[in-house]
Amino acid sequence: MANDDIRALSEALAADPASLVFVPLGEALRRRGDLEVALRVALRGVERHPANPDAHDLIARIAVDAGDLERAVAEWEAVLRLTNGHAGAHKGLGFICFQLGRLEDAEAHLGAALAANPEDGSLAAALQTARAALAETADRPARPTLGLPIEMQRPDADAGALFDDLLEGQRSAAMLLDADGLVLAGRYVSADGRDLAAIIGAQLSGVSDEAGRAMRHLGLGNWRQIVFETEAASVAMAPSQEGVLLVAAARPIPLGFVRRVLERALERAAEWMGDAR
Amino acid sequence: MSSPFAPLTESLIRHRGVLGAMVVGLDDGLIVESTLQVGVNGNAFAALTASLYRKARRSAGAAGFGATGFLELTAEQGRVCTAGGQELVVVVVCEQRVNVGLLRVELLRAAEHLP
Repeated sequence: MANDDIRALSEALAADPASLVFVPLGEALRRRGDLEVALRVALRGVERHPANPDAHDLIARIAVDAGDLERAVAEWEAVLRLTNGHAGAHKGLGFICFQLGRLEDAEAHLGAALAANPEDGSLAAALQTARAALAETADRPARPTLGLPIEMQRPDADAGALFDDLLEGQRSAAMLLDADGLVLAGRYVSADGRDLAAIIGAQLSGVSDEAGRAMRHLGLGNWRQIVFETEAASVAMAPSQEGVLLVAAARPIPLGFVRRVLERALERAAEWMGDAR
Repeated sequence: MSSPFAPLTESLIRHRGVLGAMVVGLDDGLIVESTLQVGVNGNAFAALTASLYRKARRSAGAAGFGATGFLELTAEQGRVCTAGGQELVVVVVCEQRVNVGLLRVELLRAAEHLP
């Protein structure tokens, strides 16, 4: 949305502070990255319209962008109390619960969201992933988390901890995958201690396969790095040995940090593979 | 007659290091609008970048990461950046020296107006 549109919405809200125009205005500010202003607008709006589900939904989306997952959960739960079966709230809660390792809750919310939007392929895939994670990781021991700050650890003989010290205590994860998408080192640990690296790695390694195919036709040489941003995470990957190295960090950790971790993890992986051989 | 996206691609190609800018159909990989320097194979970049973006979007969704916004592919001899809506994506082909941060902001802003 252009600045002119935001200005027009601001003027409309100033002219009628009791109107619902704060919802599109807050959303436009959120999309532009003005999270503090967006939150102020949304909170002022929800004071006047505490029973409006769109107002709580807006606060939840701003909270996700700001990395405040607890607030997002609280707001989306408020939406569901106001509007039973709200698809957006179920979807948001599904993704957050998955990030936090609350797989049973994730499955329930994603299932409800999919029931409301059966054509949404990404929801069907996410639900499948949550169910696979539930089935595969039921008895894993507790470990640090991507959803919550982790304590720094030194790499040791445990391949799972190979990249932990590079992550600088941020809500991030790094993993080294082989050519088949299987985890060689690193981990992706949810809040309840389950290591989801195998599942996340399997889902994302296909992106590097697609990049490899594209490179054969584009005349740009070999691919060196792919980065992409999603609602919940920033992801960076690069070829490493015969496989791929993948770093994921919860939003709003900046993309630049993710790329730096990736470069340092590549060096670490090369050393580790050399030692392993 | 130019499409409504011509000002967008003409604006993007003015960035230093940008070799081509296109608006591309996400599902079919066909060019809707393009401004390309001579020698850039727009059809190949459009089709393959749309395919890569689709794959990233599906994979990120399946991994529980939600919807995909900006994507950048860095190769030995250049970069491709893209961001998109549900139906269309903006694809920019560039040299290594391009200011990716600035381009990212422009692409995300442009993507807000795409269907």
